[in-house]
Amino acid sequence: MIELKNVNKVFEDGHRVLTDINIKIEKGEFVFLVGSSGAGKSTLIKLLLKETEATSGKIIINEREITSLRRRDIPYHRRHIGCVFQDFRLLPNKTVYENVAFAMEVVEASPREIRKQVPLVLSMVGLTRKSKLYPHQISGGEQQRASLARAMVNGPAILIADEPTGNLDPEMSMDIMRMLNEFNYRGTTILMATHEKEIVNTMKKRVIALENGMVSRDQIRGAY
Amino acid sequence: MKLRTLNYFTKEGIVNVRRNKVMTFASITSVIAALLVIGIFFCLMINVNYLADNIEDQVEMVVELKNDLSPNLIENIKKEILGVNGVEAVSFVSKADALELMKKAMGSSKDVLSGLEDDNPLPDTFKVSLKDPRMAESIDLAIRSIENVVNVSYGQDELKKILKLMYVVRLSSLIIIGVLTFIAIFIISNTIKLTVYARRKEIGIMKYVGATDTFVRGPFLVEGMFLGFVGGLVSSGFLLFGYYNLDRFIRNQMFGLFKISILPTGSIYMNLTLLLLAVGVAIGAIGSVISVRRFIKV
Repeated sequence: MIELKNVNKVFEDGHRVLTDINIKIEKGEFVFLVGSSGAGKSTLIKLLLKETEATSGKIIINEREITSLRRRDIPYHRRHIGCVFQDFRLLPNKTVYENVAFAMEVVEASPREIRKQVPLVLSMVGLTRKSKLYPHQISGGEQQRASLARAMVNGPAILIADEPTGNLDPEMSMDIMRMLNEFNYRGTTILMATHEKEIVNTMKKRVIALENGMVSRDQIRGAY
Repeated sequence: MKLRTLNYFTKEGIVNVRRNKVMTFASITSVIAALLVIGIFFCLMINVNYLADNIEDQVEMVVELKNDLSPNLIENIKKEILGVNGVEAVSFVSKADALELMKKAMGSSKDVLSGLEDDNPLPDTFKVSLKDPRMAESIDLAIRSIENVVNVSYGQDELKKILKLMYVVRLSSLIIIGVLTFIAIFIISNTIKLTVYARRKEIGIMKYVGATDTFVRGPFLVEGMFLGFVGGLVSSGFLLFGYYNLDRFIRNQMFGLFKISILPTGSIYMNLTLLLLAVGVAIGAIGSVISVRRFIKV
């Protein structure tokens, strides 16, 4: 599902961020990407989304070599990947419902599909009753759930979560983790970058640790 | 592209226009100013072309003949002139005719010329009209080489000056139109940059969930084209009003001995309006593409 072969990333100023990364993630896996800030987690995620280019090596996602992807094909590549971020990134002038529907509108889904799909995903994250509220009217945890719904509404095969619990208290964090687990159970491959020990140790999933831009540990049912 | 998508572009484009009322107003005003000047130079250019056509119709050569040629010989010369490439028509003006014309031209002072009938100093001439004034020089040479032709005159220097002036006017109009188009694009792209900046978060999210560049660009394209269209509409309105009044003013006026005329408003309004609208919409579109470019690269 996700495969990185001998991937290197050197910034233009010569700073080396990733060195010889080899990772293989199978369909349906739940993987934690851990490491201190500056270890290269964000860069790795950017490579998967093709926000930035690898200096060398191959990246294969969904059986497709993305390093050679043409610029105009990038949007279609991203439609296979849902994204959740630490800062939620909801649009403040749209309701929860509209925020989720927006993700479908921009990929030109039909109004009928939107009317069917959005309430379904909102109920999966438990926000049916808050769908008409604006982001500032709901809690941080609820905002992250809305953003999770937006990431999942187009049915991506892969969900990438970059520190999704970074801004949440432990209880809300566990809430989000439960939902991620649920989506994973339904078949979505999940890659979550985090540096929260608690969560990683509780979940007992595969852990890939990055240190100074290199994979220092890759452990099934690992801990932080 | 789906109709629904076009609908979305229009809706969001109008939202953009509304969001930035002050900037929208400012940039439409600047675009109007730029298009006005573009329009003025366009009018100047088509009138110079019109004038050129008039001059082309008017350029005439006077071919002076030796005295006392037989009618037969004159007929032969006429045929020879007609055979020169670029000559449209030839008419004979005898020395007697020339004197009559001169008397008419002098009006009440014509008495000065009385008594010249018996010893007429004016030569027999041909009036030669040309197909294209730019060929005057070669035609001149060809006719000069015909036997019994004494002189050829057609206001060589004046014609050259006028043709040169026209060339300068046409060229400088084109340059000014080009420069102003460029400036107008810059103005529009700056306005749109503001709305793009206000919506950069939205654009970021759109890119993350897999919106295509075309989809992200759509609303801004609509916004830019709208600004340009309104600018074109208003400026052509102003310009036609001004042109109409100028036309009327000039028509009722004598400038020294001459009566000058410009192209009538009725014959230019269609071209002018279409031109300004097209230029307006085009610069709007180009301006918006430029301003979105940087933000779209995520």
